[in-house]
Amino acid sequence: MLNFEWLKGVSPAAAKGIFLGIFVVSGLLVLLIPKAYIYEGVESPRWWHNLKLWALGVLAIIFTIYSIF
Amino acid sequence: MLSGIDYVVVIAYLVGIMILGLYFARFVRSADDFFLSGKSLPFWAVGMSIVVTDISAMDFVGVAGQSYRFGISVGNFDWLGSVPAMLLAAFIFIPYFWKAGVYTIPEYLGRRYNDGVRAVASLCWIIFFAFDLGVLFWAAAVMFEPLMGWDPWFSIIVTAVVVGVYTFFGGLTAVVMTDVVQMVIMFVGGAAVVVVGLYHAGGWGGLVEQISAMGDAYQNHFELVQPADTQTPFPWTGILFGLTFVMSNAYMIGNQAIVQRCLATKSLWHAKASMLVGAFFKMFIPLLVMFPGLIALAAYPGMADGDQAFGTLVKNLLPPGLRGLLFAGFLAGLMSTIDSFLNSTATLWTKDIYERFLKKNASSRHYMIVGRAATVMLLVFGVLTAQLTQHFSGMYVAIQTFMSFFQGPVFSALLLGMFWPRATQWGGLVGVVGGIAVSVLFNVLVLLDASLFTIQDPFLYISWWSFVVGAGLNVIVSLMTARHSEQRLSGLVCRLPRDLKSNSGAVPC
Repeated sequence: MLNFEWLKGVSPAAAKGIFLGIFVVSGLLVLLIPKAYIYEGVESPRWWHNLKLWALGVLAIIFTIYSIF
Repeated sequence: MLSGIDYVVVIAYLVGIMILGLYFARFVRSADDFFLSGKSLPFWAVGMSIVVTDISAMDFVGVAGQSYRFGISVGNFDWLGSVPAMLLAAFIFIPYFWKAGVYTIPEYLGRRYNDGVRAVASLCWIIFFAFDLGVLFWAAAVMFEPLMGWDPWFSIIVTAVVVGVYTFFGGLTAVVMTDVVQMVIMFVGGAAVVVVGLYHAGGWGGLVEQISAMGDAYQNHFELVQPADTQTPFPWTGILFGLTFVMSNAYMIGNQAIVQRCLATKSLWHAKASMLVGAFFKMFIPLLVMFPGLIALAAYPGMADGDQAFGTLVKNLLPPGLRGLLFAGFLAGLMSTIDSFLNSTATLWTKDIYERFLKKNASSRHYMIVGRAATVMLLVFGVLTAQLTQHFSGMYVAIQTFMSFFQGPVFSALLLGMFWPRATQWGGLVGVVGGIAVSVLFNVLVLLDASLFTIQDPFLYISWWSFVVGAGLNVIVSLMTARHSEQRLSGLVCRLPRDLKSNSGAVPC
């Protein structure tokens, strides 16, 4: 149990799918964050203050890395 | 040995960084300024500071060594093992701590549970940072001796004086702003090795071709995801459960040296944005610290000690001038970690131990002086213990293992404390202490060769199980003890507002 023997049958390709799934779920959760919460602390919001875009950009890069390798 | 131009680059770096750090001393007038920069820092500076605080010169040598032996799977630590945790920190935890107005993470744990939990968590971090300082100072001596020809004591004193002076006078602002410059130097120096190395290896294609042709043992060298039964320390199960679910979150959310600079940002938006900037730059770290190991494997296969990969590459490939730049980059990585540890340990000592248990309600200036005194004491302690590292070669590994003892249990207390109103002070205390005890027990059993774990270095699995035990004990003991009133928990648990009557101050987490 300590070594997760019950998961030894899962192939690396399927495990990669789980990792990619984490990035997709993270992206979906980011999209669900209320706009007001994102802009909290900004006096006059501009498009580049939208931290959802920043987070999705970071997730897109890491998704690409894990897709390739 | 470095050449004349390399000396100029290194000396210019040391003098420049001290002058820059001292410039920020003029803004420090109170404890708020010293520990939290008067909540004035911009997101970009904090984001860059997070990256160099996390990466030290040890990573250049250690990670290159691991990629030499195990391939790119070591990159998981800076990719999967950082980015999701940093998003979680940016959007949920950091805003919460920022609004709560705390100086330290143990301070939150103290408010949520009790002073026992606060003291245990704070002391664990203080011990870890203090002993790590000695290792870092010794690393400076090891770097200076062959390249500059300096005596180890002289190297340690020079590093301590440069870092100590600006950290003492400039506080967190000096630490963060020098970190910005240090990150740029570290990236330029590291990139120089990668670019020159890749050129010699025939580009990325040539590198893959050469390593893949080395035989079956190297077939997984370019696979990020390793099978669950791999003999390397990075099976995907350990990466997912130990690293992604526990260690990375515990590090990015519970590490005082990381979180403290986010709490010093000028607004909530800057606090969140700083973590995202950090996540962006963090994704480039594997290129700087992992690629040299792969390039060395292609150029110099069969090295007995993978940790020599980086040094061998630098010695044989880099021309004068670039070697000095790389050495400055090395120093930048090292000094940025030392200054952050100094300032964060001084904060933990002053706020969690001195102010809470020894002298309450003193003036802000008094606590600033105590913080500065703690900085000096830590410097002296680091310099003195640096020599210990020389005699105990396993010191660095021992200190890193010590961090894996408490990270999981403390994170479990943080998580349950924020999201489960039923968690009680005794549940928190038993969870943290019990989880740490289980970590220690596992490590002792591994040392005694109890064959508990099938992989070489099972720290990822131990982190996971100590987290599970810590959380389990917290839940069991909490359910057996009296629940806290909503009044006591207001502002400390998600969706419980600070002001219960007006329902204001609730965080939508």
